Formats: sequence, C-alpha cells, structure tokens
Amino acid sequence: MQANTPSKTGRWKLWMALLLLVVTTLVIVAIPVFVIMPFKAQTSAGLEWSYWLRRVSPWITITASVMALAFGIKLWRGARWWSRIALPIFLAPILAATWFAHQNHFEWMFNPLPNAAYATVAEANFVNDNDMVLAVEINGEAVAYPVRQMAYHHVVSDVVGGKPITATY
Amino acid sequence: MWESEIEGKKLTFHLAGINNQNFIMRDDETGTWWQQVSGEAMHGAFKGRQLTNVFTDEITFAVWKREHPNGRVLRPDDRVSKNYEAANWEEEYEKLRVVVPVDPNDKLKPRALIAGIVVNNQPIAYAMEALRQQRLILNVIDATPIFIALGEDNKSVRAFERKVEGRTLEFFVKENQFVDAETGSTWDFTGKAISGALAGKQLKKISVLKDYWFDWKIYHPDTSVYTANQ
Repeated sequence: MQANTPSKTGRWKLWMALLLLVVTTLVIVAIPVFVIMPFKAQTSAGLEWSYWLRRVSPWITITASVMALAFGIKLWRGARWWSRIALPIFLAPILAATWFAHQNHFEWMFNPLPNAAYATVAEANFVNDNDMVLAVEINGEAVAYPVRQMAYHHVVSDVVGGKPITATY
Repeated sequence: MWESEIEGKKLTFHLAGINNQNFIMRDDETGTWWQQVSGEAMHGAFKGRQLTNVFTDEITFAVWKREHPNGRVLRPDDRVSKNYEAANWEEEYEKLRVVVPVDPNDKLKPRALIAGIVVNNQPIAYAMEALRQQRLILNVIDATPIFIALGEDNKSVRAFERKVEGRTLEFFVKENQFVDAETGSTWDFTGKAISGALAGKQLKKISVLKDYWFDWKIYHPDTSVYTANQ
C-alpha cells in the first residue's frame, strides 16, 4: 500500500461522507421542486423553506461538489476496479444536483422574453379583435400585451412613457 | 402590472415558482420572492414591502386599438409561440382543477369569472354573469359612488367613480354608450363625456381585475360579492 493512500477505515469513512453528500444535495434540490409544484396547495411554511433552500442550494451544492471531488481523488488512488466503477456513480448525482441548483426550471416550462419586440397596430395581425390584452398608458405612450402571450411568458420588462414597468399575468 | 422600481432600486423579475396557483417572481438584484397578483414581497430583503401598481386595462384588442391607434403591441416570440394558449384558452381554463379549499357557502363556483375592484380598501367581486345580464351596475362603496360596466364586446370591463364636481350621477346604458340621468350627457367607454352639458369631463377610472373567484378570494378574504340573482 502506498504511503499517501488512506487506510481501510479511512476509506470507509470517505465512502460514507460521499454517500452523505449525495443524499444532502439531492434532498436540498428536491424539496423546493416538490413544494412549489403547480396544481398543488402551498403552505407559508413550505414556501419559506423552499425560499431558503433555493437561496442557499447554489452554494451548498458547489461546496459539496468540491468536497466530493476531493474525496473521490483520494479514493481513486489505490482503488480496486469496483471502487473505480462506484466513484462516478456517487459523483454523478452530486454534480447533477449542483447543476440543477443553478437552473430556473420554471423558465424551462415558460420561456422568458428578455428582448421583447413590439408591433404597430397595423402590423399586429397575430392578435384577433376578440382577444384580451393588458393595456397600459403612461405619459401618453400606450402599450398592449396580448393575454395569450402573457399567459405563457408571465413576466415582461418594459419602459413605458419613460417609466420602467414589469408586465405580469 | 407593477413599477419595476422600489425605493429607488430597479428590479428585474423572473418567474420563480407557484403559490396556490398564482405565480411567484424573483428579482435578480436581491433574490426577494414576490407574489404576482398582489405585488407583495413574501421572503427576502424586501419582505413586507409592496410594488407600486400601474393602472392596467384588461380589454379586447378591438376596444384598445380604437382608443390607441398609435400604440404598440407585444410581438409573439416565434421560438415558443407554439406553446401559447389556444384561442379558446378561456374555456379550457375553466375546466382546470382548483386545489385550494372551497367554501361550501359560496354563491359562486371556484372558477366563476369575476371582475374585482377595490374602493377605499373595500374589495368587491362582480360576477361576469351579472355584468352580462345587467351591462351596467351602480353601487356605492363606503360612500364612494361607482359604476362598473361591460363593453359591447361582452368581455371588456371598466369601472369608474360616478362623481363629477361633487355631484353624483346615475348612469344607464343607451346604444352602447352611457348616459347620465342628471344632465343627459353621453359618455363613452373610456369614461369621457362626448356630448351634452358635461362634454369633455372625464370620470375617474378604477382598476378592474378579471380573475377567478377562488383566486380573488385568496388575496381579498374580506371581499363582498355581487351575483346575478341579487
């Protein structure tokens, strides 16, 4: 056995630590997804938990990934073939959870509209006379946001009559 | 619709979640979570604060373009427009389920459409069914005389304070226009008198939120309700 490789009990502890990191990262990202799911009633306590987990999970998962990689490197040295197969199986969910913690999965379902474009009344053949629009008028500038588009994007940033506004539906 | 600035800070909002079928938005600058329907900060640096409301009309495109021929209209995003709701989305949505508890004493079904207004902190929900039957409803809410009316398109709803220069006016509908009983002046759907003794006067607009009864009630638990059979 090489001098810089962990002892048998040391290896066992590192494997346990890796398992703990897998469970922690998965639970941290899964709880908010589960609590703030559409078509489900939410409680204020559940929302508060989700808010905090969404807030801290990007950092916790990165820390967990760094730790898991360090443990993995230690375990790789002097490892038997089955340990070398097991290592990626432990690391993959941690890295996946880290990636997920940095995503906004709600915007996968409803794409945002960062560079909203506008048409004149004459050009607006994409909206029917009988379609509902949300309309604002500020300092003489009038803008219509068709509800069918807003029901998908939900949030559109704009400046109307010099005032920055957020159209929501 | 909300002003993007609060306390001198301009915020950029993104969709961040769902709370009892109304979405949550998150601002990039502080990470605060905001409730879309109320503009209220639920969690984060701005908790307890509220965004400033921007007066919004919810009307048909036909009514809007007649009033604003020089306005601009949000274009669809061609990359995702296949995901937009179908033209008959309003009927489809009425079939969706409601997950919040339903009060058995309610006069309206959870997904009944209402036009909600708030006058002097007093919320009232008018059933769209009642507006379809009556076209125009006169009310006095906490000493403020108002009227709420359905447009000729059967979809657009507007509400106004019916007081001009200290005088309360009683309105009725005549050939898709409003007439006040006191002076016989004719008013259009924007709340402006277009002929008669009061020509040129503008009624004060009250913002109307078209909503489902169940959603309105969550955010206005002390609301009154006006239904067709009352």
